[in-house]
Amino acid sequence: MDYLITLAILIAIYVILGASYNLVIGYGGLSTVAHPIFFAIGAYTTGLLSVNVPELPAVVNVLLGMVTAVVASVLLAGSALRVSGDYLLIASLGFQLGLLQLIKNLDFTGGPGGLSAIPSTILGAARGPAFLAITGAAAVACVFIIRAIVNGPYGRAISAMRDEELAFTALGRNAMSMKIAIFAIGCGMAGGAGGIYAYYFQYISPDQFEVLASATILTMVVLGGMGTPFGPVVGAILLLAIPQAITFLQLPPAIMAPTQGIIFTVLVLVFLYLRPAGILGNKARAI
Amino acid sequence: MFEPIILLQILWTGIATSAPFVLLTVGFSLTLKVTGLWNFAQSGQMAIAFYTMFFAMNGLGLPLFAAVGLGVVMTAGSAVLIEIYGLQVFRDRQSGNLMFFIFTLILSEFVIYVITLLFGTEPETLYKSILSPVDIIGGIAVSEWDKTGIGLTILALGALYGFMRYTKEGQFLAAVADNAKLAELYGISAQRAYRVVAVISALFIVAAMYLIGSHGGIVPNSPLELVLSAVIGTLLGGIGRVFAAAWASIFLALIQSFSILFIGSRWQNLLLYGFLFATILLFPRGVRMPRLRLALIGR
Amino acid sequence: MTEILRVEGLQKRFGGIVVSDNIHLTIGAGEILGLIGPNGAGKTSLFNLISGVLRPDAGSIFLNGQKIDGAPLYKRARMGIARTWQNMLLFRTMTVLDNMLVGPRDYAGESVTRLAFGRAGVRAAEAAMRARAMGILGRMGLESTASSMVVDLPFGQQKLIGLARTLMNDGPLLLLDEPMAGVEGAAYETMQRVVRQEAASGRAVCVVEHNVSFIRDLCSRAVFMANGKILQDGTVEDLIASATLTELYFGV
Repeated sequence: MDYLITLAILIAIYVILGASYNLVIGYGGLSTVAHPIFFAIGAYTTGLLSVNVPELPAVVNVLLGMVTAVVASVLLAGSALRVSGDYLLIASLGFQLGLLQLIKNLDFTGGPGGLSAIPSTILGAARGPAFLAITGAAAVACVFIIRAIVNGPYGRAISAMRDEELAFTALGRNAMSMKIAIFAIGCGMAGGAGGIYAYYFQYISPDQFEVLASATILTMVVLGGMGTPFGPVVGAILLLAIPQAITFLQLPPAIMAPTQGIIFTVLVLVFLYLRPAGILGNKARAI
Repeated sequence: MFEPIILLQILWTGIATSAPFVLLTVGFSLTLKVTGLWNFAQSGQMAIAFYTMFFAMNGLGLPLFAAVGLGVVMTAGSAVLIEIYGLQVFRDRQSGNLMFFIFTLILSEFVIYVITLLFGTEPETLYKSILSPVDIIGGIAVSEWDKTGIGLTILALGALYGFMRYTKEGQFLAAVADNAKLAELYGISAQRAYRVVAVISALFIVAAMYLIGSHGGIVPNSPLELVLSAVIGTLLGGIGRVFAAAWASIFLALIQSFSILFIGSRWQNLLLYGFLFATILLFPRGVRMPRLRLALIGR
Repeated sequence: MTEILRVEGLQKRFGGIVVSDNIHLTIGAGEILGLIGPNGAGKTSLFNLISGVLRPDAGSIFLNGQKIDGAPLYKRARMGIARTWQNMLLFRTMTVLDNMLVGPRDYAGESVTRLAFGRAGVRAAEAAMRARAMGILGRMGLESTASSMVVDLPFGQQKLIGLARTLMNDGPLLLLDEPMAGVEGAAYETMQRVVRQEAASGRAVCVVEHNVSFIRDLCSRAVFMANGKILQDGTVEDLIASATLTELYFGV
């Protein structure tokens, strides 16, 4: 049971990551791979605050994690987009690698071994279900907030910007500030997911936020359907749940982990070939 | 601590250590220049190169030349297959940057999982012993490995230079790198150029993995770290400047080696990323080494 | 006549090519100025300099007497410089109405904070904008296309929608870049009528157009450009009568 609750919480966290990443790349058209680093920024900020400033309430810590992620994302997008849109892809990769290296080499972050002993906040038998309720509610809220953003007048402006940036700007819209805003909203949500993650798992390590994590989240978005409100939800559930299916085979760990990895990667490769627009996507929006 | 002999030793070892990274960076950077892709599938090819040679030597008991030959066949073969049945398919579909990013990275991950299943996660080396005989030349310790590494790198870079400069095929590569559409108008096949570059980078990868694998242990995950060092060298050298990327990797290795005089060893990696940050924010088109040198002389 | 736009000594070169060579120009309220000349004369470049797509090497631009040199493209649009594009640059994945709704100079609904805290206000603003958009489409006989995707419409209608979207910006200056290129039949009359109405409402209009009869029907005054220079500024009849210009442009 605990195992299923943990899996469900993990799925909810990845729904937040996938949905917010979809806002940035699918709707905003901004090429970035650094989404996990904002997840990391949120997780580390929240984790460090909860360890070092125990008097702060958990909610405040998670919010501060979000704020830090937003600030970092504005700095990155603000400097990279000034060069060009394509440059953001490379700059984001460098930002992610560099910041992870910094985390690995500092003492107060726990170094490569990770940050442990994050307080559990909620105690007792209800801990799992309570976290599931909070994370599930956050995931649903993120999906619907993003849906509201992209369906309203703001979303209309976002798609206009993606279609014809020059015409959009010449109609009196500031495309640059809009891109930065979209980037910041998406990265802020990822930071919030990081905060919840840190509290539930009570342990975070830099390896979880490497480039492989970028590929995982990106894959969830693409597989589910980029630029569709519920695509990332489908993607996150499928990619996390299917590899777990073989857990019941009771294989030794040395075989289990790579086998799950092979299932995951083969699934992705098959989809990339056969259905590049994703399960819920339409062909016109394939990347 | 700052005696000339020690500084010389650090210089030598730093240059020798950079050899495999120079090879990997040049393979990566050349691929980026010609195909326009950040080809992360190269980390999968690195894994294939090493584990083929490892298995040939330690499992089948083949001699070195046969193992390297097998490594070249497997690595170049997989590179060409990925090019034809992977990258070209997505090119034909006019897929975007992110598609290539996922495809190449997930493909590498797949290769690495398969290798983990076959070989486990224990560090492996090509030879039973990684100790290399050492000569003292002018007071500096020079190992056999150092000589092989530097010799192989000079040979590979010289061959690449000659190939790009003096052969028709090499000039075709340059033309496709410059403007694939225009090159096709002049009857140069871009697809052919992409396959040629896949083979060349495979050769560089095999050479680099031979060096790395005879110097220290490798686990299935190592290639993912290795490809990142190639990315950093490429960024520092400037996109599309293959030989500058090679210089950048040497420069990085030297900075890391010399930094040991001033800061703890665990800060060395951090320094590398400090350079990366600075490059990304201050020199988005790469640090212009030759111009930098001229400016210093002018002063 | 009140001056709307004044351009003083505008200079712009790309390498060896001079696209704007000491351009001086004034357009007043209610005026329709034709801008003609051979391809590569610098007409579209002049539009790009005025609207802020390009930065001039020298010279100044005044809107309603106010210097706007430092303002970027989007700010000039908000100040009231509305322009169309030779190749329309419509938002391809959107309907006609949605294209129109991105047109207004300033639209409170397009803000994330308003989305969170002022949904009633957004709904009211949205309704008002829809009414205005339908009004403009109505004037052009395009109401029925409102919910079509722009890419599904014939070229002539796309051209009109490019103009309609620009008219959602109700600023004092209207720059039309080859509105008639590729347009035939009924759209001709519509285009003429709408441009006249806009000028009559007090806007300054400047039209780049190769179709000389369109210019003759519409404009009282026209400017002839070649090689980045204004060669002549006068009535359309004067320009057509001028032997040198006829040779340069009409190739007679």
